[in-house]
Amino acid sequence: MFKNYLKIAWRNLLKSKAYSAINILGLSVGMTVVVLIGLWIHDELTYNKCHDKYDLLGQVLITQTFNGEIGTGSAIAIPLADELRTKYGGDFDQVSLSSWNMERIVAYGDKKFTKEGMWVQPNFPDMLGLKMLAGSRSALKDPSVMILSASLAKSLFGKEDPMNKTIKINNKTVFTVGGVYEDMPHNTTLQDATFFGPWDNYFNSEPWIKNAVQNWGNHSWQLFVQMNKHADVSKVNAKIKDVPMQHLKASEGWDEHVLIHRMCDWHLYSKFKNGKIVGGRIQFVWLFGTIGFFVLLLACINFMNLGTARSEKRAKEVGIRKTIGSVRRQLIAQFLSESVLLALLSFIVAIILVQLSLPWFNKLADKDMSILWANPLFWLCCIAFTILTGLLAGSYPAFYLSSFQPIKVIKGTFKASRFSSVPRKILVVVQFTVSVMLIIGTIVVFRQIQYAKNRPVGYTREGLFQVSINTPDIYGHYDILRSDLLKTGVVANMSESSSPVTAVWSNQIGFDWEGKDPNATPLLGTIAVTHDFGKTIGWKIIRGRDFSREFGTDSLALLLNESAVKLTGIKEPVGKVIKWNGKAYTVIGIVKDMVMQSPYEPVQPTLFTLNYDWTSIITVKINPETSMSRALAMVEPVFKKYNPGSPFDYKFIDQEYARKFESEERIGKLASFFAVLAIFISCLGIFGLASFVAEQRTKEIGVRKVLGATIFNIWQLLSKDFLLLVTIAFIIATPLAYLFMHNWLKDYEYRTILSWWIFAVSCAGALLITIATVSYQAIRAALNNPVKSLRSE
Amino acid sequence: MLELKHISKWYNVGGKPTFILKDINLKINDGEFVSIMGPSGSGKSTLLHIIGMLDDASEGEYNFMDQAVHTLREKQRSQLYKQHIGFVFQAYHLIDELTVYENIETPLIYQNIKSSERKAMVADILDRFQIVGKKDLFPTQLSGGQQQLVGIARALIAKPRLLLADEPTGNLNSRQGEEIMDLFKQLNKDGVTIIQVTHSEKNAGYGSHIINLLDGRVEQ
Ligand SMILES: Nc1ncnc2c1ncn2[C@@H]1O[C@H](COP(=O)(O)OP(=O)(O)O)[C@@H](O)[C@H]1O
Ligand SMILES: [Mg+2]
Repeated sequence: MFKNYLKIAWRNLLKSKAYSAINILGLSVGMTVVVLIGLWIHDELTYNKCHDKYDLLGQVLITQTFNGEIGTGSAIAIPLADELRTKYGGDFDQVSLSSWNMERIVAYGDKKFTKEGMWVQPNFPDMLGLKMLAGSRSALKDPSVMILSASLAKSLFGKEDPMNKTIKINNKTVFTVGGVYEDMPHNTTLQDATFFGPWDNYFNSEPWIKNAVQNWGNHSWQLFVQMNKHADVSKVNAKIKDVPMQHLKASEGWDEHVLIHRMCDWHLYSKFKNGKIVGGRIQFVWLFGTIGFFVLLLACINFMNLGTARSEKRAKEVGIRKTIGSVRRQLIAQFLSESVLLALLSFIVAIILVQLSLPWFNKLADKDMSILWANPLFWLCCIAFTILTGLLAGSYPAFYLSSFQPIKVIKGTFKASRFSSVPRKILVVVQFTVSVMLIIGTIVVFRQIQYAKNRPVGYTREGLFQVSINTPDIYGHYDILRSDLLKTGVVANMSESSSPVTAVWSNQIGFDWEGKDPNATPLLGTIAVTHDFGKTIGWKIIRGRDFSREFGTDSLALLLNESAVKLTGIKEPVGKVIKWNGKAYTVIGIVKDMVMQSPYEPVQPTLFTLNYDWTSIITVKINPETSMSRALAMVEPVFKKYNPGSPFDYKFIDQEYARKFESEERIGKLASFFAVLAIFISCLGIFGLASFVAEQRTKEIGVRKVLGATIFNIWQLLSKDFLLLVTIAFIIATPLAYLFMHNWLKDYEYRTILSWWIFAVSCAGALLITIATVSYQAIRAALNNPVKSLRSE
Repeated sequence: MLELKHISKWYNVGGKPTFILKDINLKINDGEFVSIMGPSGSGKSTLLHIIGMLDDASEGEYNFMDQAVHTLREKQRSQLYKQHIGFVFQAYHLIDELTVYENIETPLIYQNIKSSERKAMVADILDRFQIVGKKDLFPTQLSGGQQQLVGIARALIAKPRLLLADEPTGNLNSRQGEEIMDLFKQLNKDGVTIIQVTHSEKNAGYGSHIINLLDGRVEQ
C-alpha cells in the first residue's frame, strides 16, 4: 500500500514539474536557512565545551561602583588568589592567576612572530585540560619553560621537534619549549592564546607587578578557579562576596564584591547589570532561532498554500477515487506521503545548498562550522524535522482535499467554496508580515551603523597608523626615532601615548578639586601622551592650549576633554588645579570630545597628561600626498633600526576604528541575508499562487476578454487581491517591527531615530515585489488568446 | 456590413499546414440573418471567431463596416468589436463568480459607461428578457435556457450592430431553442445583423440565407 502511495506521489511530482520545482525550491531554501542557523546555534551552545572540566571552571569577577555606576569586570588584585586558595580551599580545587592575553614577539633564530598568549600559574594547563601533543601539562612548574600551541610550534620550527628548543620573547627573555598542545577549537574563549608562559617569570619581570603582590587596590590581572565537585556555586558566591572589603578601607570610598562567573556562562551570559547576569549573546541565539523558525514557517506556508491551491485541479481525481471506493483515510495517507516525499527531496537539496554556502556563511558569521557529517544526532534531528515538516505542510491540503464530495465533482458542479481561500489568504498575510518586518529590521540596523559611522570622531583618521612599543630596545629613543621618521619625508608627525587612539586602556580614581562632592569617587580615563600627540592625530583644542615644549611646567599640566569638564562641574577649568593621588596638576586646555571607545556610547570623561615614560603605542601620521604603501616601505627600515628584535607590525587607525562596527555589521548582514531569503520564499509562494489563480480563472479571463477587457483590466483583476493582502500584512508588521527595533535601539546611547520613511520604503518595496511577481502571471494570462480557453469547454 | 475576400486559415500540424478554412469569399449586408451550417469540424466556429475578430485569418482580406480589419492593430480592433459585436456561446460562458446582474453589466464597464447609465441599461434589458427576478442569482443556480438568455442579454447590452452566435441552442431542449430563435427573429427585425452557427435545419430556417461549410470551403 505504502509503495503504491509513493509511486503515485512520484508520478504526480513529475507530472506537474513547475509546481514541484517551486515547492522543492521554496522548502529547501527554508531548510537551508534552518540548518545554517541550527549549526550556528550548535556552535554557540557548545562554546568552551572542549574543556573537560567545563562544568567546574570559572573566572573570578569583580563588581565595583564608580560615578554612581555599577560595573562588573574581570580585573582582580593579586592577593585575592592566595586568599581563595588558603581560606576557601574546600570550595576550590585549583586557583590560577593569569595575565591578560597579550601580544609578544616570539623568536626562534631569525623567525619572529607577534603572537598572543597568557602568563599563568603552573596548574592552569591542567585546569583547561589542554591536549598535549608533546611534553606535560605541568611543564610550567619550571619558570624558564613555555608551552606552545601546535600551530605556533609549526610556524616556528617547521618539521623540527619543538621540545627543548630555545625561544626568545620580546628580544629579551629566553625560554625552553616544554610542551606543545593541540590548538583549541574555534569556539573557545581562550582560542587566541597561542602560548602559555610561567606566571613566576612574568611576575618577576617588572617591578610594578612585583610591588602589587600585597596590593588589594591594583586590579590588573585575571583569576581562574576550578570548583570542587561538591561546591554549590551560589553558596560559594555568597561566602566570598565580601572578601576584598575585608582588606580595603571603606573610607576610601571603595565598594567592591567578587563573584564566580562559571565557564558555561562565559560566552552566552556575559552581560552584567548591578552585579548580576542579565544576558549577553544568548539574545542572538534566541533571535536567530526565532528567525530560523519563521523562515521555515514561511516555507511550510508555501507548501500548504500551493498544495491547497492545486487541490481544485485535483478535485476530479479525488472524486473519482472516492466513487471507486477509496476511503478518506487512504486519501489523507496518499496526500501526506506526497508531501513527505517532497520534503525529503527538499532536504537533500538543502544539504547540498548548505554545503555550498557554508564557506561564505562562516565568513559572514566569523565562525568555522561544518556539517556534522559524523554526528548521528544531527541526522536524526534533521530527518525527524523533515518528516515533521512534510506532515505539517501536507496536513492542511490532505484534510481539505479528502473532504471533497464526489458527486459534486463528478457532475461538474463542484466549486471551491469561497471560504476555502480564507486560510490561504491568512497564510499569505503571515508570510508578508514576516518579510516586511525583516526588511524594516535590516534597514534600521544599517541605518544605526551608518548613523554611528557618521558621528564626528573629533580627530583625523586618515593617514594614521600605530605600532606598539613591544621591546625594551625602542624605549628612550623618542627624539631620534621621531627625527629619523620625519627625515624620510613621508611622515608628517609622530607621537607616543599610553593608549591607542581607538581605546582608553586606563581608568583611574583618586582625583580631587575645589568644589568636588566629598562622597563621590569619580572615575576618569587617563591617557599619557607626548607633546606631539595632538598634532599627530589632529585633535581640537576648544579652550586654553595644547601641551608645548615652551612650557617646562607642562609635566604637571592636564588637558581635559569636554565630558571630563562636565563631570567635574568646574565652570572655567583652564588654570584650575586638579589633585591626582595628592599631586597638583594645572588644567591648561580643553580638548573636543573624541570617539576613542564605543561609537554608540557617550564619550567617557578623560584626561591627558604629559608623560614620556608611560607610553605603549607609537602613532604615525603620513603626509597626505604620499601613498600608504610607499610610506610604509620608507618607514620600515627606521623601525627595524631602533627595534631590531621585532617584526614591523602596524595597524591602520581607520581599520581599527572600523572594527568597532564589526559586530553590528555582522548582525546587519545576517539580518539582510535572512530578509532576502524570506522575501524570496514569499515571492515563490505568491508566484505559485498567482499562477494557480490565473489558471483557475482562465475561462473567466477569456470571457472577459471577449467582452472587451483590456490587458490592464485583467492585470488589475488578478493583482488586486494580492496587493490587498500585502497591505494588510504591512499594517500588522509596522507596529510589531517598530516595537522590536525600538527595543533593539534602546541598548545604544547614541542611536538613530525610527523615521516614518523606513516603514514607507519597506511597504513600497514589498508592494513592488508583489506587483512584479503577480504581474508576470497576470499578463501572461491576459495575453492568452481567449479563443483557446473558450474552445476547451 | 462586412466582406471576406480569399480568407484562409491554417495550422501547422507536424510541420505541414493543415487548412481549416480555404479561400472563403463572403459578403454580409446590414440587416441580414445568416445561418452557417456544416458537419462538425468543418470550420464553422473558426469562421465565426474570425468574423468576431477573436482570431486572425492566415491569409486574405476582411473588411468590417468600411474598415480593413486585417490591417488594424490589436487595440483598434478590440475597440471596433467592443462597440459593434455581441457574442453568444453554446456553453454560455457566464462568469460563475458574478451574479446575473453583474454578468450583464460587465461589457458596459469595459466600455467606460457611467454607473447610473449602466443601471438603466441593465434594468431595461432584464425587463425585456423577463429575468428581473433572477438578477441576484449566480449562473449555477439557473437552468440552461435561462443561462443562455442571460448570455444573449449580455451580448446585446451594448447595443451591437452584429450578433454572432455559435450553436446558441446546442445545449437546450427544443422548446427553449424555439424561444431563443423567436427572440433572434425579433432582434433581426429591430435591425440587428445576426450570424449564427447551427446544426438544425429548422433553426437555420429562421435566417434569411444559409451558408454551407464543408472541409473549410463554402458550398455553393
Ligand atoms: N490550434 C489548432 N491546431 C490544429 N487544428 C485545430 C486547432 N484549432 C482547431 N483546429 C481544427 O480546426 C477544425 C475546425 O474547428 P472548428 O472551427 O471548431 O469546427 P466546427 O466549429 O465546425 O466544429 C477542427 O478540425 C479542429 O480540429
Ligand atoms: Mg464549433
